[in-house]
Amino acid sequence: MESFLRYWLRWPSLESFMSVPWAWPLCETFHFIGLVLLVGIVGMFDLRVLGMARGLPLAPLQRLLPWGVFGFVLCVMTGLMFVLGIGANLYDVNAFDVLMTDPWLQLKLIFIFLAGMNVLAFYLTGMARAVDVLESGADAPPLAKVIAGTSLFLWLGVVYFGRLIPWGL
Amino acid sequence: MMEFLASIENSGFATWVREANTVLAYPTVLAFHTFGMAFLVGTNAAIDLRILGVAPRLPLAPMERFFPVMWLGFWVNALSGVVLLSLTPITFLTTPVFYIKLLAVMLAVANIRLLKRQVFGNPANLDTRPVPMEGKILAGTSLAFWTVAILAGRVTAYSGFVQRQTALAVLIVAVLVLLAGSITPRVRSLLGWSRYYGKTFDDTRSVSERKMPPWNPS
Repeated sequence: MESFLRYWLRWPSLESFMSVPWAWPLCETFHFIGLVLLVGIVGMFDLRVLGMARGLPLAPLQRLLPWGVFGFVLCVMTGLMFVLGIGANLYDVNAFDVLMTDPWLQLKLIFIFLAGMNVLAFYLTGMARAVDVLESGADAPPLAKVIAGTSLFLWLGVVYFGRLIPWGL
Repeated sequence: MMEFLASIENSGFATWVREANTVLAYPTVLAFHTFGMAFLVGTNAAIDLRILGVAPRLPLAPMERFFPVMWLGFWVNALSGVVLLSLTPITFLTTPVFYIKLLAVMLAVANIRLLKRQVFGNPANLDTRPVPMEGKILAGTSLAFWTVAILAGRVTAYSGFVQRQTALAVLIVAVLVLLAGSITPRVRSLLGWSRYYGKTFDDTRSVSERKMPPWNPS
């Protein structure tokens, strides 16, 4: 199993690309742009569900969410490049060892997984539909508020642990 | 001047934040700088995107309630930024790109105030007629200033040559992403994958929105 993972987590050509001087800061810039879109737009949605800016009807607000998803995709793509291309930044370090030893990266991945489960719960409990019909001024059901609060907490946790990753290497 | 900056750098506070063997010191200040950025720039970007035509059924007027979220993010970052600057003031203040970042942030913040006056200043016109061209231009410059601020912040630690190369690479990737985004709906409709069946090309409302009366009767 370990040799299998070590083999599939080795991407020498990606490592060569990340060794180009501008590749790392380029990915960092788009990781941050993605972070801003994800946390800003999902956070805005969560705050509305929690009761802020109640004048906003929820169905049209959901039309902003694809831009948050776009931010998430930017972050996943650039994040994969950091982890799989870590050897370009640190001598004699590889993705497998980093994934196995860095506690902050592990916590970040767990929080991303939990945030995904939270989105799943949002749909499976019917809260997505209950929230979609909320007009201007309407209050969200308590369970939707719990899910929105959890979402805010988890994404800020993802940002926090992401910032700590270099200190766990 | 240099002695003054050196005394800040060697102060007990700066030394502790820089060198304390706990993630609650320097890494946590950095994390707060990132939280502030997410709330300030993210909320601003959402408002800009709405003004530029994303989610056209979303009324703009209630979005004014999110301005305090932006100002909270701004003050969190002003505070955490001063702490981060105090750790290695000589390095930051002798790096030209740091001034570009400060300038971009100042322009972006001035842009927020202009946007608030131009777009949100006259509630009677808001959501009853289209956002005027000046408002759309301000939304575009806002996104551009924040992109420059983020880019300049990210490349501070690199040499000037790498900074310019990175800026060019960011520009090229951004243009490619925008181009791909602008042709995607056309490709989808050519292939018959369009979600907007039976509707005009510009009708991007979700199915549940279509059942609702239009937000503004005009």
